[in-house]
Amino acid sequence: MKIKVLKKTSNELKIEVEGEGHTLCNVLQKVLLEDETIETAGYHIQHPLIGNPIIYVHTKGKQKPEATLREATKKMRGQCKEFRRSFEKALKEWQGK
Amino acid sequence: MELQILEKTDDYLRFIIKGVNVSFVNALRRIMLTEVPSMAIDEVVIIENSSMIRDEILAHRMGFIPLKTDLDSYNLPEECTCKSEFGCNLCRLSLTLEVEATEDVITVYSKDLQSENPDVRPVSDRIPIVKLAPEQKIKLEAYARLGKGKNHAKWQPVSMCTHKYLPQIKINAESCNACGDCVKMCPQKILVNTGEGIKTQNEIECTLCQDCVDACPKNPPAIEISWHKDAFIFNIESTGALPVERIVLEALKILDKKIVDFSKQLKVRKK
Repeated sequence: MKIKVLKKTSNELKIEVEGEGHTLCNVLQKVLLEDETIETAGYHIQHPLIGNPIIYVHTKGKQKPEATLREATKKMRGQCKEFRRSFEKALKEWQGK
Repeated sequence: MELQILEKTDDYLRFIIKGVNVSFVNALRRIMLTEVPSMAIDEVVIIENSSMIRDEILAHRMGFIPLKTDLDSYNLPEECTCKSEFGCNLCRLSLTLEVEATEDVITVYSKDLQSENPDVRPVSDRIPIVKLAPEQKIKLEAYARLGKGKNHAKWQPVSMCTHKYLPQIKINAESCNACGDCVKMCPQKILVNTGEGIKTQNEIECTLCQDCVDACPKNPPAIEISWHKDAFIFNIESTGALPVERIVLEALKILDKKIVDFSKQLKVRKK
């Protein structure tokens, strides 16, 4: 995975993510939009087969978009961990039956 | 997040997951379909083929035989330490097939494939490959590799992987007169007429088709079909290549790796 910065100001960040698709970007977008410091966030893929997603983040006030993105990745990892924990717990319960 | 397993066998899993958004379950579904590696025959060297089936069709058929995959002892060819185009023992497995029909017409089955590693073999012995008439012969060597579903469907470890919203059925007891029109309409037989009112059974089988709402003579309809925004029913059916719970755990691992890669790249950018 490679990230290319297309635009960067104090409140805005536009990056192109090479070798990714909806899988990661859609989760990221969802998590970003739940953040209250976000003005707008989104992504688009120019071509379904050969396009790389372009992620756009626009934050409010003094919040840096990089910090918001990092915060979002933390939340996503949290979700993964929580899913794993509940899945393993459910498996154990099922095997106990 | 709350997860409850409804049904589980070696190659089928059905569970309800609550407290999660649609993007996350969809990411998992996409990864299971396209990025969880499994093993499949990728290259076939045909030494002799006097059957009616042409070489390339035969090779194509062999590619689609699901193989029991050993993810821990094999590497993806692009990640293998050998860096060789032909592969090594860690990223390639050879299978041989040698069958000759003598007197009768015979069918060559997947059980005739001899694998060099007994742990990696076709998931079923009864997959027909080709029919041979008397005096026809097949002799070939096949090479299996790990691969991903996004490159070819033969590398998909799942034959089905879907999720749907958890249905929510509301019946307005005041306006419902138990006419039973909706009960007749329901294709999944979820609604039951008790005489005094309509009751539901087995609600999770609802396909959200809304036929019951259309059938209701009341205006507005006395029955309302909706769904929980944060609860899903997940169905996974493995081809047999990997145990179904392993597929889910692998998918989680891959998603986590993607996120870690992304945040690492962000850090690099900052400098």
